Amino acid sequence: MWNEAAGTFVFYLIAFFSIFTALTVVYTRRILRAAIALACVLVCSAGFYVMLDFEFLAGVQVMVYVGGIVVLMLFAIMLTSSAELIVDRPSFQRRFVGVLISIGFFFVTTTAFWATDFPVAESTKDTLFTKVSIEGEKAEPLDDVVELGKKLLDYGPEGYVLPFEIISLLLLSVMIGGIIIARKPPQLENKE
Amino acid sequence: MVELLSNNPPGIWHWLILSTILFSIGLYGVLIRKSAVGVLMSAELMLNAAVLNFVVFNHFVKPFTIDGELMGIFIIAVAAAEAVVAMAIFVAIFKHKKSIDITHIETMKG
Repeated sequence: MWNEAAGTFVFYLIAFFSIFTALTVVYTRRILRAAIALACVLVCSAGFYVMLDFEFLAGVQVMVYVGGIVVLMLFAIMLTSSAELIVDRPSFQRRFVGVLISIGFFFVTTTAFWATDFPVAESTKDTLFTKVSIEGEKAEPLDDVVELGKKLLDYGPEGYVLPFEIISLLLLSVMIGGIIIARKPPQLENKE
Repeated sequence: MVELLSNNPPGIWHWLILSTILFSIGLYGVLIRKSAVGVLMSAELMLNAAVLNFVVFNHFVKPFTIDGELMGIFIIAVAAAEAVVAMAIFVAIFKHKKSIDITHIETMKG
């Protein structure tokens, strides 16, 4: 009982903290503070993944998002020298439209959830931290990383080898594109 | 208090509404931010909410599989790629125009 109570408490704690920091990301007038708040949101999300038993994804999240993307953003903020800058508040009209659209989106999506009956599996209906075995299915908790590696390179109908290859090509092209866009423009000395 | 907490563990609803809230906040940020880096950060919030949704459905609808986790890893990879290109573009625009205010960038041509 205490275990489940602690799980629920931790869920609400992290949820409210992540919503608060997400609001900081969009509200603060200092762009550097927004980047730090974004790092907090991403760490909170890693906590969510741990609560949902996806430890490997949590590790990827911390390494790639917090360690990579946020640091990249900090670099971009420094390079565009807007670290000290305090941006103006957006105009009232702009904020009004933004609130209207996002609240509208929230209500439409929540209504769609409400109208849908999700086929929630029995085993996870009332446990958060413990996977209870169910009859007829693979009951033992699977070894995530081994399964992930097998699935990524599987040619079969359940495999993900094509997206894997596409992602590798995407990363290569992004690397080349990033270098070409951000480098110094070539000196035009032999123009005449 | 402990009774209340242990009798109401977060179900699929709580998680879905949480990720919808995060997505809506990201949408709001994309709409109101003027700085290009701010817009990109809000877009990352939205991507993060999408990953959370995949993982939640994986956990609650199809436990003992890892397809949602795999999609999450793919989304994170694409988000990283997107962030790299966007940052390169911002730096290039800043070199050219001395500002990354998206309301003042009307043209992509140098």
